[in-house]
Amino acid sequence: MDTQRPERPAQVTSEALMRYLDGELGPEEREHVERGLAASTELQRDLAMYRAMKSDIQGLHFHPASDRNSVWDQVNARLNRPIGWVLLIVGTVIWMTYGTYVFATSPVSPWEKMGTGAIAIGVLMLLASVIWERLRELETDPYRDVQR
Amino acid sequence: MELELIRKCKAGQSRFYEPLVRAYEPAGLRLAIAMMGNTDDAKDALQMAFIKTYDTLPRFDLRRAFGPWFFQILRNQCRDMLRSRKAKFNTEALDEQLENRPADAERGPERLQQRGAAKELLWRGLEQIGTEHREILVLKELEGFRYGEIAQILDIPEGTVASRLYHARSALKKALVDMNAEYP
Repeated sequence: MDTQRPERPAQVTSEALMRYLDGELGPEEREHVERGLAASTELQRDLAMYRAMKSDIQGLHFHPASDRNSVWDQVNARLNRPIGWVLLIVGTVIWMTYGTYVFATSPVSPWEKMGTGAIAIGVLMLLASVIWERLRELETDPYRDVQR
Repeated sequence: MELELIRKCKAGQSRFYEPLVRAYEPAGLRLAIAMMGNTDDAKDALQMAFIKTYDTLPRFDLRRAFGPWFFQILRNQCRDMLRSRKAKFNTEALDEQLENRPADAERGPERLQQRGAAKELLWRGLEQIGTEHREILVLKELEGFRYGEIAQILDIPEGTVASRLYHARSALKKALVDMNAEYP
């Protein structure tokens, strides 16, 4: 007597169904899912629904970005900006150091040196305080993300 | 070719970055629009992602694929912007950007209208399912990434991708059914 029972379609997990739908299964696993599909109309219905959804989402196309509207110009400007800043700061420091040296060693009267020095230090202190204030405001500025 | 460009960029030669930006821009913009919901925010995110990618290139392992790595940065940028700006995914701006396929036009205005309505419905469904579900559907269906690449971009185990996709697709189906759409 044949005691072997007909093989029941094995359980197909939702993950296996997704992998089947997306072509991510090996031959053995695919065969396993196909056996499950052949035995279950519910599974077939689910697969048809997911297939339709997949196809509809893939149908959502966008016009590709044209060269004229490329973000490269903005990206390039941002990438090169730090180099510009570094050169500006280094150049300014060199000129200021040299200027200070020339001024300090020039044969003008000490009163002239003190007056000019006070003005220069005052301007630098005001500039530093404005920059500091702006940086502190930037942290809490609700409009910082608003584009001009 | 790509590897050579990346090597030169790693060495600080930013002019070699342009071909990479132009190559990844269309796909990047599609992903960003799908995540942000409008072109302006998508372009901002894309621009920042390219800058961040360049800044972190010195740490990039040349044995890895550049694409998934860039898309990971872009995806994180979009998520950060959605969080920090409290920006909301919004389909209103999408209507003009949806491209009608030539085949639709050939089948007459009624067909065109039907497809337009179906696409709008689908976008509204995508809007409702949330960023996490939306991003995995976009990576799979619009960008056509394999599970291994998606796992890399989302920084999750490869085994989790199928399960995430199942939940995303189920959520989209539920959203469409809730909108009284007969699906499929």
